[in-house]
Amino acid sequence: MQVEDQKTEIEVRDLEIRYGAVAAVGPVSFSVPKGEQLTLLGPSGCGKSTTLRAIAGLERPAAGVISIGGREIYSSAGDLNVPTEKRGLSMVFQSYAIWPHMTVYDNVAYGLKVRRKSRAEIDSNVERALSLVQMEAYAKRPASQLSGGQQQRVALARACAFSPEVLLFDEPLSNLDAKLRGDMRIELRELQHRLGVTSIYVTHDLEEALAMSDRIVVMNKGRIEQSGTPSEIYNYPRTAFVADFVGSANLITGTVKTDASTGDDVVVETEGGELVHGTAHGRKVGRKATLSVRTVHLQLHGERPAGERNVWPVTIARSIFLGDLSEIHVHWAGRQLIIRRSALDRMDEGQQVFLSVDPSRCVLLEDDGDTN
Amino acid sequence: MIARTSARRKGMVSGIAIVAVVGIFVLYPIFFLLQAALKQGDGTVEGSTGYGLGNFERLPSYASIVWNTLEVSVVATIIAIVVGFLIAYILTRTNVPFRRGLEQLMAVPYYVTPLLGAFAWSLLGAPHSGFVNQFWQALGGEGSIVNVTSAMGIAWVMALFEGSVAFVMISAVMQSIDPSLEEASQVIGASRFSTMMRVTLPLVAPGVLGAVVYVFAEMLGSFSAALVLGTPDRFYVLTTAIFLMVTQYPPRIPLAAAMGVVLFAVMFLMTYFYRKMIAGRSYVTVSGKAFRPRPVDVGGLRWVYFGLVGAYIFLAVVLPLLTLAYVSVQQLATALPAWSNFTLEHYRVALSQNAIRFAIRNSLELGVMTATIGVALTGTISWLLHRTNLPGRGALEYISMFPQAVPRLVFAFGIMWAWLVLPVPIYGTIWLLLIAYVTVFLPLGVRTISSVLLQLDKTLDECGQVCGANWSQRLRTINVPLLRPGIMAAWMLLFIGAVRELGASILLVGPNSQVLTPAIVDAWNYSSSELTAAMALIQTVVVGAVIAIFTVLTRRRELKG
Repeated sequence: MQVEDQKTEIEVRDLEIRYGAVAAVGPVSFSVPKGEQLTLLGPSGCGKSTTLRAIAGLERPAAGVISIGGREIYSSAGDLNVPTEKRGLSMVFQSYAIWPHMTVYDNVAYGLKVRRKSRAEIDSNVERALSLVQMEAYAKRPASQLSGGQQQRVALARACAFSPEVLLFDEPLSNLDAKLRGDMRIELRELQHRLGVTSIYVTHDLEEALAMSDRIVVMNKGRIEQSGTPSEIYNYPRTAFVADFVGSANLITGTVKTDASTGDDVVVETEGGELVHGTAHGRKVGRKATLSVRTVHLQLHGERPAGERNVWPVTIARSIFLGDLSEIHVHWAGRQLIIRRSALDRMDEGQQVFLSVDPSRCVLLEDDGDTN
Repeated sequence: MIARTSARRKGMVSGIAIVAVVGIFVLYPIFFLLQAALKQGDGTVEGSTGYGLGNFERLPSYASIVWNTLEVSVVATIIAIVVGFLIAYILTRTNVPFRRGLEQLMAVPYYVTPLLGAFAWSLLGAPHSGFVNQFWQALGGEGSIVNVTSAMGIAWVMALFEGSVAFVMISAVMQSIDPSLEEASQVIGASRFSTMMRVTLPLVAPGVLGAVVYVFAEMLGSFSAALVLGTPDRFYVLTTAIFLMVTQYPPRIPLAAAMGVVLFAVMFLMTYFYRKMIAGRSYVTVSGKAFRPRPVDVGGLRWVYFGLVGAYIFLAVVLPLLTLAYVSVQQLATALPAWSNFTLEHYRVALSQNAIRFAIRNSLELGVMTATIGVALTGTISWLLHRTNLPGRGALEYISMFPQAVPRLVFAFGIMWAWLVLPVPIYGTIWLLLIAYVTVFLPLGVRTISSVLLQLDKTLDECGQVCGANWSQRLRTINVPLLRPGIMAAWMLLFIGAVRELGASILLVGPNSQVLTPAIVDAWNYSSSELTAAMALIQTVVVGAVIAIFTVLTRRRELKG
């Protein structure tokens, strides 16, 4: 791992975007250190693409400040809005936006041509960009004759051909089939490291976000739900929304047993009367609490496992074979919990087994009035 | 609120300026039309004694003209819709032979125009002298078996040419229906007939109704067939009555204006309903994807269907053009050919008479100017409508579509008055015609370019922006090349439209600004049908040559690209 220069490259402060009277985004604030990749993750309509387009200058915000490399490019207070073409950034579009009337070469050379580079410089840069995405052989092809995956690669080559400092990605892989998407995910990540470019990536795909980002910002309804490293987001979701959207989680709600809770350890009593030990992860403990437990962290055992805490006898309600994993539903405390486990041994409906979970895997959610 | 940047304010100002300019060109003539209609007095403008509704009160005495108009329009609409529906069904839903070729031929009647059709059908079906009647008499028949100068005859000629418009509209609707909707009905157990009645027809109905309203509005405002076929027998519809009142001596301008206002009001309402229907329909059957429904195997019936479509094309295109060609090379038009009757004199006259050559030159110049200015203007309007969030876009769209609701003759009437009162010496010059053409063809240009613009992914432009290209670079390298097919199509449609324009031209031409189509009508009225046929064919050949050149040019571009 190379040593990162921790200088901030992109900064977004109190950004608000409105469509007429409707607030679409904000206010949101985040920053991306130089050379890192930040992902805006969220369901469709959460405002992530709108935020990205505002950074690109394709959408006009209502308020806030955006700066790149220390230079303000949008500021509502300064009445400043640098046009897209003068922001010196680059972007890969969801639709690829490959110009069908040009060849592959002309598409990739475009950014260099409008910058009036010399013929030799254009040639060498186009060649370099095309070789990055292994499309050198296609330079003379009309762009309209490319497959989806090839268009994707050309779009990528075009975006980095003129060596921009900042690369924006608007769901670039969502139109590819699952297999190709997996391959491109790795390639994109390596490319981003190799070029050392600062980038913002927009996606609704959890795996993509976890695999490709240095930091993730989870957005919902135009606001930031949580931001942090991929493992922080996955292991310590802050809200019920994040717990549910980022992977699958069981949410357990109950009353905090204050006498039994000390420090980071919290004990929650469910309505069914079960006691669940969890971790507060430094968060404020109130009277009511919701714990988030990942489906893969719940363990099932044929025999009662050792230990007193977080072990319960349960009955299997349903067992669904999913290939790599099996999904098991069990009756617990008057409700059902969902468990995902690799399918080593068979679990049949009606079978009596024991359920256990490591208290450190039961994460207290922050109480933001939206606990369900 | 926060102050906006100056670029944004500049954009707003230029937007408002364009709305204002287009608004003046479109609405100013309408204002004069209304004003003239409200003038009281002895029927001349000079003797007017103030304003009132007197002209409208006198309209009921012209009830027979209103009745004629309705009779012709209703009959023509019914024939056009039946023809259009049948052919649309045959070409989109059955395995009729040569389907592709027939589909392309269906566009031709539109280019032949009702005016040419009216000349040809007058030669074929006039009482006594028409060729069909001559044959009938030669075969020993009594009197005439056809009469195209009747209301039914006029409706027949109008319907022949509007039939291809109805076809285009209805087949678009039929193609937009997801075939799985019908398949679902058959899978559940409905017979083919039952599926047709319960699924297909209800889905098509709104679109067909839209076509009915649109075609009916066109019929109300149509002019040339009624002028050629009806006027000699003193059979008038509203448009020809208005024309007569304006051009006769003494003119009865305010009364003509009042008639124009009534016609305009009805067409405006119909166009309004049509647009409402179109807007509603798009949610029901059109899913944005063009389906190619699997054609139904109709067995031996396919040759019957082929015959039907072929017969339509024969009656609307082949027969009229053959008739005109045949007449144009005769010294005196008769049904039966005779070598001694053959002559090319009419072509020599048409191409050598100064007045006619002047008219041809004016028409071509006007065609090129109208198309070029029109494309630039409608291209800008389309861009503002679909690619900006300019305030007042709604108004702009409304104003640029407005001329569609006004019969061209009535519009020209308004333009005539509007420019007569201005101290600009523009009346009687080709510049007034240019203004009229650009205005009346606004809807055609905006529709053509918008349809291409809407298909163009917005990110293609945005990506150029992100790559660092400024506005003019993107226009040159991305937007104009990508919009080229739409721009070329619009240019061609405007050129053809301008070269063949009659309704607006006939009131606005002066001794120094004669154009081709009114000259052809004059030849029909004052010279001979043989010379008229020669002139009409020359015009058709010129227009055909332009279409051919354009097609070759666009093909070559496509092949290169």
